[in-house]
Amino acid sequence: MSPVIETTDLVKQYGDVCAVDQITLSVEKGSLFGLLGPNGSGKTTMIKMLTGQTKPTAGTAMVLGFDVVADPINVRRQVGIIPEQETPPSFLTAREYLAFVGAIRKIPDIGAKADRWFDLLDFADKRDILCKDLSRGTRQKLMFAQAFIHEPELALIDEPLINFDPIMQDLVKEYLVDYVRKGKTIFLSTHILEVAEEICSEFAILHKGRLLHTGRVAELSENGGDLPSFFLSLVRKGSHV
Amino acid sequence: MFELFVAMVKEEWRIHSTMFGTLSFALFPVMIFGIACMGSFLIPLVQMTLPPGYLTLSIHGSYLMLGIMVGGFGLLGNEVMNRRFGQASLLAYSARSLPLKETFIFLNFVIKDTVYYFFLWVLPFGFGYIIASPFIGVPLTDSLLLLLTLTFSFLFGLCTVFLLSAVYARSKEVLWLLLIAAGFGIVVHAVLSGTNPVLFFPPLLLNSSFSWMNFTLSSVLLLLLFGVATALFNPESVGSTKRYTDAFTPLLKCLSSLPTPSLAAKDILDLRRSGGLIGQTIFSFFLPLLVIWFFLSLLDPIFPPHGLLFLTAIITGVIASTMYTWVTMFDTFGSYACLPVAVSTLITSKITTFGLLQVIPVIFIASIAVLSGETAYIFPAAILAISVSFYAAGVMVWLSGLSPGVLVYDVKVLFTYLILVGIALTLFTGLAFANPYYAFFALSLAIPAWFFIQRAKVRWDAVDPGGF
Repeated sequence: MSPVIETTDLVKQYGDVCAVDQITLSVEKGSLFGLLGPNGSGKTTMIKMLTGQTKPTAGTAMVLGFDVVADPINVRRQVGIIPEQETPPSFLTAREYLAFVGAIRKIPDIGAKADRWFDLLDFADKRDILCKDLSRGTRQKLMFAQAFIHEPELALIDEPLINFDPIMQDLVKEYLVDYVRKGKTIFLSTHILEVAEEICSEFAILHKGRLLHTGRVAELSENGGDLPSFFLSLVRKGSHV
Repeated sequence: MFELFVAMVKEEWRIHSTMFGTLSFALFPVMIFGIACMGSFLIPLVQMTLPPGYLTLSIHGSYLMLGIMVGGFGLLGNEVMNRRFGQASLLAYSARSLPLKETFIFLNFVIKDTVYYFFLWVLPFGFGYIIASPFIGVPLTDSLLLLLTLTFSFLFGLCTVFLLSAVYARSKEVLWLLLIAAGFGIVVHAVLSGTNPVLFFPPLLLNSSFSWMNFTLSSVLLLLLFGVATALFNPESVGSTKRYTDAFTPLLKCLSSLPTPSLAAKDILDLRRSGGLIGQTIFSFFLPLLVIWFFLSLLDPIFPPHGLLFLTAIITGVIASTMYTWVTMFDTFGSYACLPVAVSTLITSKITTFGLLQVIPVIFIASIAVLSGETAYIFPAAILAISVSFYAAGVMVWLSGLSPGVLVYDVKVLFTYLILVGIALTLFTGLAFANPYYAFFALSLAIPAWFFIQRAKVRWDAVDPGGF
């Protein structure tokens, strides 16, 4: 397996605050990788750097063979992204937004593909409403659809389930697991540990910008442990230090 | 009330000072003060060429326009707060989480804008004049009176636009009726009395002959405008389920020959559906320009032949260049974070949409040429306006990238903009005054405009997008 994401001593400094501190990480193709950490641990900054939304202060990062600093557009062309806070443009309808994404990404037959996503995520009745008038959950569905509509080799998702109801959460989790089975890769950040334990194959724990641990979820259970307990003990220890 | 007001002022200050640094932003009113103070020493020279009262008229016109533009920016339709603040969670949204009425928040918002921009623009200018007045032989009472009447001019512009935008948010038809009735009334009065209606502008009347009666009448009129605007304010509607047919796909086909058709189509839909295209055209373009044209028409006797038309064309160009802010105010680079779009691509798309909007200044200046009986000069006047507009927009793009609406308050940005645009304006005003057909030389502005846009793409691509 070849790594689809490789970072070396990646650093992001905001003034005096070090949001990400010398992270060296490798994510293999075909994995469902969970980046875990408490609020403010640097998860969102990591995803922003890996997708060329913000530039690292130091270190290097390669995504699908592209340097995120030298070639951020090619990175974003190849991957699917769901940013943490961004919402779709206010004055386009849901259908128009997917057509807009299709035009930018040059996706053929975008209308039919969009319809499949409206049906899959059960919001076909909202497709002609302006994005600004959609509920938060429906906007999240739309953002989910735009990230996967071109079936990228790698999707980077920031807190994917946070606005979904339990039924939709279940559907999305199932979709992500199936997606990885097709040989694609998912890199998701979350602080919902139960979700990570349920669907992720590998994980990394960030705390205060530093990488505390990387490993396989299966290894934890083989050793009689579970991810939430392991995470809490590690982070508490890290806070104490 | 006072707590919310203070918090809103702090918030506005922090938005600006966070972007430019506290010192850089604090220097902005200092620069206005400096310009006014130094400019005041030129007044004796200017008065040798201008008839008495004309300078006062021009300054009052400028401050009326300033009020109109400050009020017009963002205060349109039901998207008032969203448009002005984007996705930011600011105090303007506090009705959603605090037990406060929308109208109460709007009232605070209006008063905050008034006080904030008074200290940012009006007071520094007036104070600069007051400081200079003993050295140019102007009595202190006259300069204090000017500060008062300039404040009134600014407030008249501000609250007139608040009122019109509040009416617009309720009913576009009523707004059109109101504007047509007002325009008709002004024209009829001007024809019947043979005097320019601008001379009845309350702050000007107050400045020319101060009396407590005039002062009280002006104040009551202002309070009335504020009161009616607040009463008519229509809070942002939430959760509308209005359905729209797909307008994006046909528009995309229609614009397919442009460099970035999908982004341009989105910009046009943003403008159309937000009400911004009509609203901004009325409040931030036609209204200020008509006011300027009225004021300038009083100065017509001192201009060379056709001078009024070409000066109006140049000013139209400058104001038309602000259309770049119309197309950049709906989104930040963050909105495109999940797509393979570079900042330089966005700049290209915004300039493309800006180019499409330039049909508005062409129509305006052509109408002015026809109305003033100078149809023969439509072509050079339109070329002058459009060339100035593209040049000034090019400078704006180079200096501020995708954030012209906020970076204008960075003192370094504003100063550089004023110098670069001021030189071009002076040169081409002189040429057009010398011979109307020399206005065609303004086409040469396309070269620096293109250069600035190309440099802007390189410059803003290199900036960390997270820093926008």
